[in-house]
Amino acid sequence: MWAYAARRVIIGLLLLLTLSFVTFVLFFAAPVDQAKYACGKICNEDQIAVTEKALGYDKPVHEQWGGFIKGIAVGRDFPVDPELRAAAPDIVTHCAAPCFGYSHNNAKTVNELVAAAAPTSMSLAMVAVVMWLAGGVTLGILAAVTKGTILDRGIVGLTLIAYAFPTFFIGVFFLKYVVIKWEVLPYPKYVTIEDAGVMAWFTNLLLPGFTLALVFLASYVRMTRAFVLESMGEDYIRTATAKGLAARKVLFKHGLRAALTPLVTMTGLDFATLLGGAIITESVFAYPGLGLLTVQSSNAWDLPTIIGVVVLAGGFVVVANIVVDIAYAFIDPRVRLG
Amino acid sequence: MGMKLKRVAAAGAATVLGLTLAACGGGSSDDGGGSGNNADAVKGGTLRYLQHFPFESSDPQRIYYGVQLGNWRRVLYRGLLAFPMSEDPEVATTPVPDLATDTGTASEGGKVWSFTLKDGVKWEDGSDITCEDVQYGTSRVFANDVIIGGPNYTLSYVDVEDYPGPYKATPEQQAAFEDAVSCDGKTITFRFNKPWADFPQAVAGMMMTDPYKKSFDEGDRSKWKVLSNGPYKIESGTWDKNKGATLVRNPEYDPATDDPETLRLALPDTIEWTIDPSDTAGELFNDRLIQDTGDDQYAITTARVAPPQMPKIVGPVEDRYQNVLSPYNSYLVPNAKRITDVKVREALAVALNLNDYVKALGGEAMGEPGETIVNPSVSGAQDNPAFANDNDNDGDPEAAKALLQEAGVKLPYPIKLGYQKSPTTDKAMAIIKEGWDAAGFKVELEGLSDTYYDVIAQPDKDMDVMWAGWGADWPSMMTVLPPLFDSRPNISSTTCGNDYGCYQSEEFEALVDEAANSDNTEDQIVALQEADKVLGETYAYIPLEITKFNWLHGSKVTGFTTTPASNSYPEIGLIGVAD
Amino acid sequence: MTAPSSELDSHLAVDRGPDTLLTEVVSKSPMRLAVARFRKDKLSMVSLVVVVLFFLLAISAPILVAADLIDPLKNDTDLLDEYGLPLGSFGGISGDHWLGVEPGGGRDALARLWYGTTFSLSIAIAATIIAMFIGVVAGIVSGAAGGWVDAIIGRAIDLTLAFPQTLMLLALSAVGLAFVEEILGVPRGNPAAAVYVVGVLGLFGWTAVARIVRGQVLSLREREFVQASQMIGASRFRIYFREILPNLWAPILVTFTLMMPAFVSAEAALSFLGVGISAPTPTLGNILTDALRYADSAFLYFFFPALLIAIIVVSFNLLGDGLRDALDPKGHR
Repeated sequence: MWAYAARRVIIGLLLLLTLSFVTFVLFFAAPVDQAKYACGKICNEDQIAVTEKALGYDKPVHEQWGGFIKGIAVGRDFPVDPELRAAAPDIVTHCAAPCFGYSHNNAKTVNELVAAAAPTSMSLAMVAVVMWLAGGVTLGILAAVTKGTILDRGIVGLTLIAYAFPTFFIGVFFLKYVVIKWEVLPYPKYVTIEDAGVMAWFTNLLLPGFTLALVFLASYVRMTRAFVLESMGEDYIRTATAKGLAARKVLFKHGLRAALTPLVTMTGLDFATLLGGAIITESVFAYPGLGLLTVQSSNAWDLPTIIGVVVLAGGFVVVANIVVDIAYAFIDPRVRLG
Repeated sequence: MGMKLKRVAAAGAATVLGLTLAACGGGSSDDGGGSGNNADAVKGGTLRYLQHFPFESSDPQRIYYGVQLGNWRRVLYRGLLAFPMSEDPEVATTPVPDLATDTGTASEGGKVWSFTLKDGVKWEDGSDITCEDVQYGTSRVFANDVIIGGPNYTLSYVDVEDYPGPYKATPEQQAAFEDAVSCDGKTITFRFNKPWADFPQAVAGMMMTDPYKKSFDEGDRSKWKVLSNGPYKIESGTWDKNKGATLVRNPEYDPATDDPETLRLALPDTIEWTIDPSDTAGELFNDRLIQDTGDDQYAITTARVAPPQMPKIVGPVEDRYQNVLSPYNSYLVPNAKRITDVKVREALAVALNLNDYVKALGGEAMGEPGETIVNPSVSGAQDNPAFANDNDNDGDPEAAKALLQEAGVKLPYPIKLGYQKSPTTDKAMAIIKEGWDAAGFKVELEGLSDTYYDVIAQPDKDMDVMWAGWGADWPSMMTVLPPLFDSRPNISSTTCGNDYGCYQSEEFEALVDEAANSDNTEDQIVALQEADKVLGETYAYIPLEITKFNWLHGSKVTGFTTTPASNSYPEIGLIGVAD
Repeated sequence: MTAPSSELDSHLAVDRGPDTLLTEVVSKSPMRLAVARFRKDKLSMVSLVVVVLFFLLAISAPILVAADLIDPLKNDTDLLDEYGLPLGSFGGISGDHWLGVEPGGGRDALARLWYGTTFSLSIAIAATIIAMFIGVVAGIVSGAAGGWVDAIIGRAIDLTLAFPQTLMLLALSAVGLAFVEEILGVPRGNPAAAVYVVGVLGLFGWTAVARIVRGQVLSLREREFVQASQMIGASRFRIYFREILPNLWAPILVTFTLMMPAFVSAEAALSFLGVGISAPTPTLGNILTDALRYADSAFLYFFFPALLIAIIVVSFNLLGDGLRDALDPKGHR
């Protein structure tokens, strides 16, 4: 058992290392001269070279990657140019392990940027997960028990239609019509719980959370519906019904329990993906989470931030997968052999 | 700086256009007057400043956005010189003393400039602004490894070799710099390796030579710290890139050392400066200003009214609206390496339907057909005869076809037209293509995003005509024509620099040299006007439009206007709020 | 997240469960049975009609453009007011312009949507083919070979899934485009953009297919005909591709139908993020992205492209579900 867990963790780490390296290689191949970009319009070649050296872009790709890995393991000092650090110790920024890099563009360490943005993405993901789970499970059960009726078709159909419209269309529609034109809700703006209290935090997350939840709602409705129907067909449930247990009791006691494991698994994986930032929802609503950070840093060619966020977001997915796999292995010992 | 700051332009929204540009220079007000109610101008209250994009830095030596240079000069960073808050372009483009006692003394034919600091000017921490602070600020620009970004014209002028900036300099290098930019009591002297007649305009318009307090400097980490010397200071001391900050009065600022009527009235007690960098923010700000309720009555914005919102600007809303020329121009550059026949280039200009082009941009509220590349806010701007004498900018495909036949080229003449893509430019370029196709060209459009300016700088690109945008860094033609068409600083084996068409003309360059070597701006202007004529005769460029700005403000805002000094953005030095 | 997340595909591909269980009739061939089952399902039949209609629209657009019957590129600024907005009500709807005109250029909205459907569907089909190809090959090889090959392909799937895909597509667009232009020699601009979008969607989309195919191969491996071929000494890979592949057409067809609409949405999402084909060449994505700015001033212009995308997504998904139910009545679970 523990050997299996250890193996999964090691493979996960190797995966993250590969991920970071691939990202480095891809960006290194970029046709945009990072240093020239940073240096500005009227930089001549000598000035660009100086900038390049200061930002560490003059090094070969494996050395840049090595520096990144070293930062994560033991921390790093910036600027990366050792001569400059030696000449001007006052301007050195120490970034403690695990250091994801330093964004010259923001004049902050990537850790600081991520720490500032992550709560937003997490809040958004949490509200969205609650919405789509609550909605998906309720509607899914409702559809299952009314199988074949108009209600069933209506639930499945409408959630599918909601999924079918592009997210950015729905988000802009909400903003332009629900918020601005009809003034149903105030303009959503991210506030922290410390600043404004739980209530304000939550009401501001309603619209973006709902927009994001619509993407997942349809599949959770269908999944719940299918699992419930499937388990209702199982022998033991038929037996329970035959024994005279009330239909509702059967449903909740036996049917749902069977559907729970795959639902929880799926939710965990989806949630982990969203922790890395919901790019489109965050862009439309200007929620300063990891998704928006990504868009901004990619527009600004802010390489360190992009790499930091990619590795972090990938890390969420990998960790969630490991957790799920190990959890499964505990539940079902056969998996360990696989 | 031109539309070259692609990092923000890549966000794509049309409302971003223009705002992405850093420049100094100015625009002239169309209706010639402010729309705020000046009669009620009083001190006090809270002004709300709604901004829809983040600044790149709050460090004076790194600031390059036109709106930030213009507005922060009024509220946070005083310079040796500054441009007056006037709607008259003549007045507004003539620097006046700010931290310095006069507008500077030139000697050795414009190669040496000196300024003396006023008494009693202070930083927000109460310490005096010294000559050494100016010297230190100037030296920071040289550190391309720490102070990355921002304008750095001084690098090619200051008479010093291999100076790496104050952080890394050896004592000898530092001494050499302090010879070139030297302090004598309160007097700072700049020694240049060539004449710099328009240096005072650069000093006023850019912040390259602003003072910086050495003990405050933390290198890259100083990027968002603000040590003010103006009438306001940032309450928290730090500018938040994505949120903005609250500006409160700076008790160490003494209006007696200043000329508030000319440079900064500083009416509101507080300025709530809010940043919302989302795609929809700009439109939303203007929706709120149209509705004009609550705090929004005290608000101004940096976001242009988008064309779809224009029908809502009616009745009382119109009284709170201004439409002005901006300091930004767009133009087309024929690739001189590929279209060698001047007649063909002329045909491109003749067939161009600029009126429809402007309509595709959102109509006359968004732009005005240009007759030269030199913005009207730049000293000495005048229509270029090559483009002014055409048929009211409607385009004449027949005349163009005749020119092509005269040139004896094979028709249809293939043209690859490159541009930086956005939903708006996509449409506008389709209009150009239609006009040119009718004249006997066969146009292929090529819209590029992030890498656009890198591609068009390549010497061996296969594009025949390229779109580009530009705004003067300060209102001198020296920051327009030479950077864009002088082959000598631009063209090397690997790049054509900002001379995207790889244009080379000895006649033009001789005139540029004449301008550069003159010790006064009048002679400079005459030489550069001639130079622009040469460019027109050879169709080195074809002007497109002069971008227009259109601003809304809340009903309780007083003194609302734009000036060339504010780069046609709201002139924050004059704006106040009513009770 | 909308864009090309394969998570989404797999969600919607989750089986609808055993409710469609039908009694097997032994005398008819499986194919005829499937057709019979499919025809009995009205919703599936309707969605089939809609899907066929969309293919007809997509095929007819270039023909109509060539015949000059519709023109998605012709500007007509006379139809616009001083701000570049359509004159007349409902976005300039008239006898000549049934769905109104585009703000800014005055081009015909119907022609652009029609032709845009062609480009959007072409991109989605091309990307699906690439994803299916990689997925099927990887799935068969992985399932058939087992051992370390299977392990490596499994890790490759994990790596692909761990990439924050939308982010990578966005951030890598410049790199990717340069690769397409310089290494593959595709002309800059729209051709390169199309190749990039198709390529990345395909490269990120194959994992779900590979997993499904691998599972199928594992179960087929034990069937008699495969074991029989092995007995007579056929090479392993020959068996896999010659014998197993023909038996995989059902899951492949179903996956294809479910993956395509996801790529239509992905194209739109990428357009929104500024990656992809740019006007004047229309795609549903770039029309919708442009229309966002006119959301309140020209509602129909804003709504139509989104509606078209929604109809495509819904009809393809329903068709895919119907096909699966018909082809594999017992479901996967």
